[in-house]
Amino acid sequence: MSILGGLYRGESAVDFPSLWRRAIVISTVAVLIGLASFGVRGLNLGLDFEGGTSFEVRSPGTSVAEARQVMEGLDAGDARIQIVDGELLLIRSDVQDPMRAAGIRDVLAAELGQVEAFEQVGPTWGDEVTDKALRALLVFFVVVALYIAIRLEWKMAVGAMVAVAHDIVLSVGVYSVLQFEITPATVIAFLTIMGYSLYDTIVVYDKVREIVGRLGATDRYTYTELMNLSLNRVAMRSINTSITSAIPVVSMLLIGSLIMGASTLQEFAVALLVGIFVGSYSSLFLASTIVAGLKEREERWRLVAGKVRSRGVVDGPTRVIGRQEAAVSSTRAAPRSSPTGGPAKRRPPIAAPGTGGVPPRPRKKKR
Amino acid sequence: MPRRQLVFLIGIVVLTVAASVMTVVWRNEPLLGLDLQGGVSVRLAAVGPADEEMLDQAVEIIRDRVDGLGVAEPEISRTENGVMVSLPGVDDQERALSLVGTTAELRFRPVCRLYTERGAYGPASGSVPAGPASCQMVSTGEVVPAVGPAGVTLPEDDDPGDFVVLDLRNDPGQRYLLGPSLLTGEAVSDADALFIDYQWQVGLELHEGAVGIDGFNAIAALCFSGNPACPRSGGATNGRLAIVLDGQVVTAPSIRAPEFRRDAILISGGFEKIEADDVSLALRYGALPVELEPENIRLVSATIGEDSLRAGVVSGLIGLLLVAVFIVGYYRILGIVALASLAISGALLWSIIAHLGTQSGLALTLAGVTGMVVAIGVSVDSNVVYFEHLKEDVRDGRTARSSVDRAFPIAYSTILKADMASLIGAGLLWYLTVGAVRGFALYLGLATILDLVATYFFMGPMIRLLSTTRWFAEHPERFGLPSSGAVSASTGSLRGVGA
Repeated sequence: MSILGGLYRGESAVDFPSLWRRAIVISTVAVLIGLASFGVRGLNLGLDFEGGTSFEVRSPGTSVAEARQVMEGLDAGDARIQIVDGELLLIRSDVQDPMRAAGIRDVLAAELGQVEAFEQVGPTWGDEVTDKALRALLVFFVVVALYIAIRLEWKMAVGAMVAVAHDIVLSVGVYSVLQFEITPATVIAFLTIMGYSLYDTIVVYDKVREIVGRLGATDRYTYTELMNLSLNRVAMRSINTSITSAIPVVSMLLIGSLIMGASTLQEFAVALLVGIFVGSYSSLFLASTIVAGLKEREERWRLVAGKVRSRGVVDGPTRVIGRQEAAVSSTRAAPRSSPTGGPAKRRPPIAAPGTGGVPPRPRKKKR
Repeated sequence: MPRRQLVFLIGIVVLTVAASVMTVVWRNEPLLGLDLQGGVSVRLAAVGPADEEMLDQAVEIIRDRVDGLGVAEPEISRTENGVMVSLPGVDDQERALSLVGTTAELRFRPVCRLYTERGAYGPASGSVPAGPASCQMVSTGEVVPAVGPAGVTLPEDDDPGDFVVLDLRNDPGQRYLLGPSLLTGEAVSDADALFIDYQWQVGLELHEGAVGIDGFNAIAALCFSGNPACPRSGGATNGRLAIVLDGQVVTAPSIRAPEFRRDAILISGGFEKIEADDVSLALRYGALPVELEPENIRLVSATIGEDSLRAGVVSGLIGLLLVAVFIVGYYRILGIVALASLAISGALLWSIIAHLGTQSGLALTLAGVTGMVVAIGVSVDSNVVYFEHLKEDVRDGRTARSSVDRAFPIAYSTILKADMASLIGAGLLWYLTVGAVRGFALYLGLATILDLVATYFFMGPMIRLLSTTRWFAEHPERFGLPSSGAVSASTGSLRGVGA
């Protein structure tokens, strides 16, 4: 609670860099599990992708819910059930095995009514649709990476792409491990997750850029420390956004399952929920680690790190940049701050050039 | 400054109210998808033998036909000996059949006139010309072709005996006024893409007899000489004969000879190979690789039961309510502004969806609804980004009032960067995919644009206006901001808080 309180007040309450190693291990393991499950168990592709069997049952007065109960008894509860012309049940199930389909037909005939038609159906979501979607996804990755490289920087593009790929693998992994059925709606959920994760990551990166632009030129903090400050400042937003995005989904999950147990809605909600939290997690822990790792390798930030270390700061928890320091630096960097040191009336330029824009001024040792 | 903000505010509120009123007045309603509302299901059986590949091809062609815009999300699947097509929201079985278009017929129509600009004819009812059809009947106003709001003849008015206005397939900018159909696809025996004289051409072979080469030559004679039934247009030496399929002109070649041999008709038009393939395919099959005929047409109910739908709506509303409680609890008056901003973008989104649903067959499916639920989350996030920035600045020692001016451009630049990535994604998915993914891309793109609009024109100006009040300056805590931002507390402003 005190951590949340600290984050609420915008203090550097969490030492993110100390968690990075653990996050990488956890993410790697999770990704490996996801990939392994994908490789071994594959995905449970639904009717729309693989086709299945359709049954037409003459059974006036039977409701969709009653028919679903019967299908659930046959372990095919995810069938798509429609009422045709008011008296015919059209049941489409992803069962492909003809023997099993015949068994279902017999049960349906016994429990619901005369089975008038019974045949194999092809996929509505054909290979061509999938091919196009995959190609679009590849183009999407390339173009968005370029966009981030141009608007922010290429190292951030790398981080963002890794984070998004991570989120997708984990979400698809959940479907593979739990063998939820993949429907077109699920594919949409994956895309939503991707967009969401990307959005979150860009917000985090923009904060990092702002803070580095403001404090980076002082050469007093390593990139990792600046990253930590940014993450602490942006964490509350990430949490709030995850909460506001998750509330409707949780509501869908609880009420959807409590009231009528629509399995498709439930699975859909689970996927979205996983995606929302994994998306926030990956931008706070994964996307930031990658960028910090890449940036610390840069000549300039290596020098800064060397200077900081020579000042006697040893390894340990990441140094916390206090609010006062951060704020003072921000007014110092602003040429138009009022002479009394009061609040700047005009907005100071925040986007100081990344390297060597404002020369670091000598600063009295405080303390 | 405040005046500009006020203009923005009033503008967006007026726009939203106007859009909502229009939606109600025009009775625009979102077209619910198959999963939410059901529709008509048409089962087509192949006449004659058909292998899986041919049926798959037929599925793709039908998909193009019923869903030109790619957002109606029909369900089209191959069955054992045919194709099953389900269309959302259609309850008229005749209309479903005409949409699926098994009766689509290849027609040869003379070109009366070429347009470059649209709207040469206003909406009017068509009338079958009496006597021999001549293009002059149109220029004298004796006959008025029926056209829809877009300036072209609608599929239901596309009768063989009428004058019609149709677009060139693959290039809607090219528009033709065409005379009554003179010959149908029955005359065609074969067509192939051929590489002759260093270019791709389409070789056409016709049957013997009146419905065949004789009929064709009669037309060719008219067109070659520029008879009023097939006049020369645009200073050309010969008249042109359009080949029309599914209400679109496939190609409209000039007739360069008065008479042709049955198996030696060549259509050249600077085709790419793929275009030549397309044209010959259209000529050969009249579109479909197999002949399909309707076996039955039935009304189907929603795939998601009504009870689940109601539960979904209820849970969505409760979720929204909880979000509202959370936002207002956390950000107080700023939270209320956020909710108002959400209402603005929501009302605009609804108007657009309802309009597109009524006009362009945009279907709202479960996937779309979920997309919107998540879009609400992202929309709320734009507000959160700004509010957290405000808090940050106040904690850094600014007054609440000065923070407002400073934080908005920074926060908006962040929102813009993040939203641009979403927009790029939505644009690419829209452009490159088909089916459900395309519908999703549209919803994502719309919601993102509206988020930017509502943030820039409503949320920002609203808070700037509020910030000019004394109330805001003296009680920032009522706006969910740290109380250190109050004016009276601003002296000695570089106080740190905590840490």
